[in-house]
Amino acid sequence: MQTRTQAEQDRIVEQKIKKVMELYSDAPELGRAALDRGLAALTQELAAATGKESAGRIGARQGKVSELTSILPFVKGGAKRLRGLLEALEGNFQGADRVGTLHDMRFVFLDNDTKLLFATAYDGEWDAYIDDFVTKIPNSLDLLFCNIEGWPGIHSPAVKDWLVKHQVQAEAWYVANPNVTVAETRRLARLGQAVAEFLDKVE
Amino acid sequence: MDPTMGTPTGVKAGPEPTGSKQGVDAQVKLEELRRLFADAPELGKKALANVLRELTSQVADMPPPIESAGRVGARLGKRSELTIVVPLASGGAKRLRAFLRLLGGNLSPGATKVGTLHDMRFVFLDNDTRMLFATSFDGDWDTYIDDFIALIPDYLDIIDSAWDGWPGIRSPGAKDYLVKHQITAEGWFVAHPDLTVADIQRLKRIGQALDKFLDEIGE
Repeated sequence: MQTRTQAEQDRIVEQKIKKVMELYSDAPELGRAALDRGLAALTQELAAATGKESAGRIGARQGKVSELTSILPFVKGGAKRLRGLLEALEGNFQGADRVGTLHDMRFVFLDNDTKLLFATAYDGEWDAYIDDFVTKIPNSLDLLFCNIEGWPGIHSPAVKDWLVKHQVQAEAWYVANPNVTVAETRRLARLGQAVAEFLDKVE
Repeated sequence: MDPTMGTPTGVKAGPEPTGSKQGVDAQVKLEELRRLFADAPELGKKALANVLRELTSQVADMPPPIESAGRVGARLGKRSELTIVVPLASGGAKRLRAFLRLLGGNLSPGATKVGTLHDMRFVFLDNDTRMLFATSFDGDWDTYIDDFIALIPDYLDIIDSAWDGWPGIRSPGAKDYLVKHQITAEGWFVAHPDLTVADIQRLKRIGQALDKFLDEIGE
């Protein structure tokens, strides 16, 4: 990306502010009031905006951390089976740890149990992440997604296209510590513990 | 219509079962699973057979179970989830999408002020008629929402004024509105459930300090 001069940058921010003001001219009163009050902060934010990046084939990424958001239609009886499975596990996904790049993952039942929201935060590229799932926990994925309409099976060559088709890209994506991967967090946690033990001994 | 449909029971707000009770329950749960998957598609049945041994140890050897994040939402260790699906007001999608795009989809300057927020996404659904707002945060629901209200009220009103019926962040009805549209996750996994945002920042500093120290003594 080319470096902009300060004057260019200021002009871009000014244009953006103008655009936001126009957009919110027909917003509800409290939205307009909030914009008025937040204008100074917003100017700063617009100047600093580096932009979210792409996770590859689909999805947003900030730093090293990406998002996957899918809305999946249940087959008949699928919601009941999946709920039973999740209840039995009490939300414990030992398998997910094995993927190694998964920060968090949620399963949410939507619209009277007709759809599943499957949303994760993970490290790096979409293709590498899906490959990890496929090689490390193929059975768990079949177990979860056999309850979804049209699931081709984890070993099908069509599985990635199917996943892309159901994924919805986030319009905005925020990560508090965007440069810390799951593995890096583990390393830092061990390091912190070692330092604490060391300090205990010196005392 | 199946009688269990639409009654999410995966996350219990009450006292959690004890370890021994979980052990006793394990066998019953596996039986339930076998029964549930008896009419699953063939590849689902096969997958169940394949993972059954692993599942046996998983169900019996319980780590901390999912708890409640307070008024609504699931929590694992110190980490909670918030998942809101909300109808958009007329014209709201257009405004909000343009606003988010102008920010480049990057909400860091505002969001960083809420020191308990791990990650946050805004996703437009169903032809821009609904929005998914999903976050992962530290601790209790009420405290977290209070933080949003105290630290970035105007951001919230700019964004949420696109939501149908949003009463305004300063309205006493704001929390009830959020609760009404929040859906508790029935499965929730976190890789490092015991590390808060602040913990990770502290560890990053320790790591940097140690690297610097090692560089210096190496010179």
